[in-house]
Amino acid sequence: MSLIDTFSISASGLTAQRLRLQTISSNMANAQTTRAEDGGPYRRKVPVFEAQINNFGDMLDKNLARVKVTDVIEPDTPVNRVYDPGHPDAGADGYVDFPNVNIMEEMVDMMNASRTYEANTNVVDSTKQMANKALEIGRL
Amino acid sequence: MALYTVTSNIPGLQMRPETAASAASAAAGSVDFGEMLGQAVEQVSDAQNVADDRLAALASGKEVDIHGTMIAMQEADISLRTMVSVRDRVVEAYQQMMNMAI
Repeated sequence: MSLIDTFSISASGLTAQRLRLQTISSNMANAQTTRAEDGGPYRRKVPVFEAQINNFGDMLDKNLARVKVTDVIEPDTPVNRVYDPGHPDAGADGYVDFPNVNIMEEMVDMMNASRTYEANTNVVDSTKQMANKALEIGRL
Repeated sequence: MALYTVTSNIPGLQMRPETAASAASAAAGSVDFGEMLGQAVEQVSDAQNVADDRLAALASGKEVDIHGTMIAMQEADISLRTMVSVRDRVVEAYQQMMNMAI
């Protein structure tokens, strides 16, 4: 387990948060989309993170995990039904199915994603500082 | 990074009196210092090349991970610094030897 491996673990965290931010951007952009590929309104998308352990390493490596986005799921929360008879996608009863995206929720998720990304970049910086400090050992 | 293991092998590099007399027999038993140094330099160069490639890929739009490129550059930086401090030590040791009063 070298310092460079710490970099790759942090990099996996950064990649995961970047993908999360992408799903958030998709949710935000489609917050009012009533026509998705399968006909209904757009469905909110949420990434699934999975801890991945390196089984080829030594004892210490087996207890350290990288994070990987293994799936993007669509939660079963009900769609947002709004009465708007003038809308092109309104049903016979005048109700329109809007996506199950809550902008506030997405904002909170976005803050969480960007803060977690920041935390991971700080880990990278600290790791580099440790390496540089180690190189200073014995220097007059 | 194997560079760290290389530096940890440095204690095995103490000068031996027989090295000058029979370099061939010493090389057979232990790792050749020059060869090891060459490998270390090559690894540092590899890290630089990886960082360079990723930077080019990012600039041309092939690579999407900004952080991946930045981390590759940091790795290259750390390995270069490690190599430089090993070189400093080697030069220092050589100068101490040369300045030794006989």
